[in-house]
Amino acid sequence: MSMVKHEKTAPRDAPLSETTFIGWLQKNLFSSWINTILTIISIYIIYSVSKSLLIWGVLDAVWVAENRRECFAISKHGACWAGVLIWFDNIFYGRFPRDQIWRVNLGGLLLVLWMAPLWLPRVKDKIFIGLSTVFLYPFLAGYLFAGGDKGIFMQVMTTGAIVCLIGNTVHSILGMTSGRSLPEYLIAVLGKEKASDGNQRNTLLAILAVAYVVVYALQMGWTVMAVPWSKWGGMHLTLVISGIGITSALPGGIILALGRRSRLPVIRVLSVSFIEIFRSVPLITVLFMATTMFPLFMPEGFVLNKLVQVIIAVCLFSACYMAETVRAGLQAIPKGQYEAAHTIGLGYWGMMAFVVMPQALKHMIPNIVGSFIGLLKDTTLVSIIGLFDLLGMLRAISQDIPWRGLHHEPLIFGAALFFVICFAMSKYSRHLEVKLSAGEKH
Amino acid sequence: MTAVDGQETQGQLASAASSEVIIELNQVNKWFGSFHVLKDINLTVHKGERIVVCGPSGSGKSTLIRCINRLEEHQRGDIVVDGITLDKNLKNIDHIRSEVGMVFQSFNLFPHLSILENLTLGPIWVRKIPKAEARDIAMSYLERVKIPEQAEKFPGQLSGGQQQRVAIARSLCMNPKIMLFDEPTSALDPEMIKEVLDVMVELAATGMTMIVVTHEMGFAKTIADRVIFMDEGDIVEQNEPNEFFNNPQSDRTKQFLSQILTH
Repeated sequence: MSMVKHEKTAPRDAPLSETTFIGWLQKNLFSSWINTILTIISIYIIYSVSKSLLIWGVLDAVWVAENRRECFAISKHGACWAGVLIWFDNIFYGRFPRDQIWRVNLGGLLLVLWMAPLWLPRVKDKIFIGLSTVFLYPFLAGYLFAGGDKGIFMQVMTTGAIVCLIGNTVHSILGMTSGRSLPEYLIAVLGKEKASDGNQRNTLLAILAVAYVVVYALQMGWTVMAVPWSKWGGMHLTLVISGIGITSALPGGIILALGRRSRLPVIRVLSVSFIEIFRSVPLITVLFMATTMFPLFMPEGFVLNKLVQVIIAVCLFSACYMAETVRAGLQAIPKGQYEAAHTIGLGYWGMMAFVVMPQALKHMIPNIVGSFIGLLKDTTLVSIIGLFDLLGMLRAISQDIPWRGLHHEPLIFGAALFFVICFAMSKYSRHLEVKLSAGEKH
Repeated sequence: MTAVDGQETQGQLASAASSEVIIELNQVNKWFGSFHVLKDINLTVHKGERIVVCGPSGSGKSTLIRCINRLEEHQRGDIVVDGITLDKNLKNIDHIRSEVGMVFQSFNLFPHLSILENLTLGPIWVRKIPKAEARDIAMSYLERVKIPEQAEKFPGQLSGGQQQRVAIARSLCMNPKIMLFDEPTSALDPEMIKEVLDVMVELAATGMTMIVVTHEMGFAKTIADRVIFMDEGDIVEQNEPNEFFNNPQSDRTKQFLSQILTH
């Protein structure tokens, strides 16, 4: 049965079905008569749906009109986008005073500026930039949005935020141009490369202190007029609530998940009951509880505004869901990883921070982003308890006298907005997954 | 079992054992639930001594060395490592763990970190060594295990033998006083066993205190000062390797040796 093949077999061209578009069509859509029929039926359905959508939404649609009656007069069966367009500012900014809208825009712009370095390739110390976004940006944005008198606390925090923003930006520019970090640059400029570590650290701290004092002095004169929270609304409010919910969900969830796996019975029981209670109650109930019941438990005269109550409720709720997601991730980490971390002498927190959490969170990215998307959509429930978030604003259009009864167009517009945001998040998470798992295929 | 047969002819490494006691187990007992894994274990290890522990599976040999760095908690008896008694005191345990290196059967490298980061994690965060210095130390150990060119890769890109050598280097980076090996070659393909054992033989020649759980009898003959045979939670027999292999005393040892040496 022995055989020997002396010549190499030369490669030949692949069959047409593998390389050409026609081949692909034949293989995937028309491979048998039943597939051919299904393909034709599907094409017909897609054609008729998109045709009527196109006629209603674009070809017969009205873009400019004073009120809904006018819309009807121009086109009886087309969409009336005029109402959405006239309410455009309201949909995005709610009832924020029109001459103050720049503050909302500036807040968004600062966030972009703050976070952009996270995506730039040559910037170092991204963890610090990320942390400062979570812990300092909210104060600056909070003051921009709310305005009014700055208490001493807000003065301190906004100053910190401004110093940090300037530092981040300079640091990123330096990183992009020269590959050096800000501290390295400062040390080099002052000619202290040879100095001891302690000396260098003290110099940097001194520079930081001077910058802080200067900014503090400058910002004392800077005030913007107060905008009460009841004027906040629309997309802005949706993003504020879900943004705070999302940023607090992960740290809260990690703490609760670790608590649930703790060896200390008190912490474990507390975490478990907290998670299970919040998870077994619908968000809308939690929201009602927060706005109606919560004040009853507070001391007399202690008034929290409704927005703060809602945000606290959303944070707790999302943290509990996140806790279960994180716990699932922790359970996927093999016991050997914990043991290996122990054997190189890492304690509990070192082990969690450097070995276990990075792996668990990476496994969990799809679920985490899934929770974030869910949270973003869930915040529309606040419109039920009387906050005019994006959904509240869209529904308000149909209550407006010129546009009475205009339901479909605003809601379709809202759906498109949510789709864009959620789809972008989902795509980004996919990208993150691929990027983080690069180089460690098993 | 044949991977290091060639080394038998090279003869034994000279003993580096001193009279200083570094590990002492006194009447140690351990149960998993109601199952009695370790029974009245007494063991004294001297500094620089190289001990090979063998025995059938389930005999408690892995549990024994896992008790020494407290990956498992014993219930009765005393374990003293480097002058410190292992008890509930977490500070002591963390200290001991940073003095005792351990190599696992399944390598347990950190898959999300590069080889270099695997090696520098402990020195930087536990020993508080500056990054650049930790890097130099790591590279010198990678050279010792003969894979400096893999420093920037991730564990998943390395072969089993290379991963195990990285794991050994990772432990050595902490500059431990004692190294524990828990069946370091059992998960490896035959052609990779030798490269790992070679590294271990070199390590033995530097005078490191080593306790090795293994079935590689050729390796045991080369490096061990003492071979310990365990069965069902007892230390049945211990002796210097020549005596142990050529002249076993107990019936259990004889049976075990006949099973692993003739197949």
